[in-house]
Amino acid sequence: MRYYLTIIITLAFSAVASADTIHAKVNGMVCGFCATGIEKTFKAQPEVARVKVDLQNKLVTVSTKQGQTLDDAKLKKLIANAGYSVVSVDHSK
Amino acid sequence: MKTNNLLLTVLTLSFAGASVAQGKPLSYVGGTMAMQENDETGHTISLDYTFTPTEAFGLYVKQEENGKEILMITPQINTLLKRWNLPDGQGNIFNMSGAGIANYRANTQPALWTAFLADYESRRWFLSYEPRLVWDGDIEKSFWQRARVGIAPYLANYDQLNTWFMIQVDHHPAKHDHFVATPLIRLFYKEYLFEVGYSSNKHIMINWTVQF
Repeated sequence: MRYYLTIIITLAFSAVASADTIHAKVNGMVCGFCATGIEKTFKAQPEVARVKVDLQNKLVTVSTKQGQTLDDAKLKKLIANAGYSVVSVDHSK
Repeated sequence: MKTNNLLLTVLTLSFAGASVAQGKPLSYVGGTMAMQENDETGHTISLDYTFTPTEAFGLYVKQEENGKEILMITPQINTLLKRWNLPDGQGNIFNMSGAGIANYRANTQPALWTAFLADYESRRWFLSYEPRLVWDGDIEKSFWQRARVGIAPYLANYDQLNTWFMIQVDHHPAKHDHFVATPLIRLFYKEYLFEVGYSSNKHIMINWTVQF
């Protein structure tokens, strides 16, 4: 009984506490100013822990804080506000 | 004219103290961009704040040095008219317009200017064209156009130094040298941009931009 309880509590806690890593493929992102705009836009969001811009692979990787998420609609809007277009979004825990 | 130069110096120093380039007239929403250009046409300082994805508001100050030494100070609005976000590049059409005052030898006049900027940039190539109309009351009315072509000798990522070789061609029918070519080097690191060049009419170009 104690064994199952431990598993349930562990799973429940990890589900609440886990962070989200989002990979967004972005069109139009070609220069340092593009990357700066995206980086500063995401860093200003309370749920974002880290953001990395990869110009070569046209990829923006956003890591959220523990227990927080960033939905796709908000992610797309933030990237649009910085001047670029999202082609695809992938999530990983 | 001494007053004009003093004013320009004060503005230059105050903006330089805030931080610096020569890029698109819009950044990201909430972003501010300071830019200074020193070339054969004179000295320009602008400070722009982007408040929507398609609009920025700012202050434009120009001290012309070729021909009449005109000082122009105008608030300006920059508008993104069209953008193409492509897999390997971005194309844009912007309008920049300002209304304020121009001064020449104690003669102060209302000033209006408008310009369009069309550009295409990939990580390897850069192309731009900018026609500009200026009306300084009875001081001067002029048309000016500028084109640029650039190539990056290597492809750098965001956290590396980006280098561009560019050539800029200016055409100002009101001036003696109708076409002026300026080969230049652009250096780009994160939010800092710096350009240095030397024009066919023997003027040094030094431009910088900072986005913050």
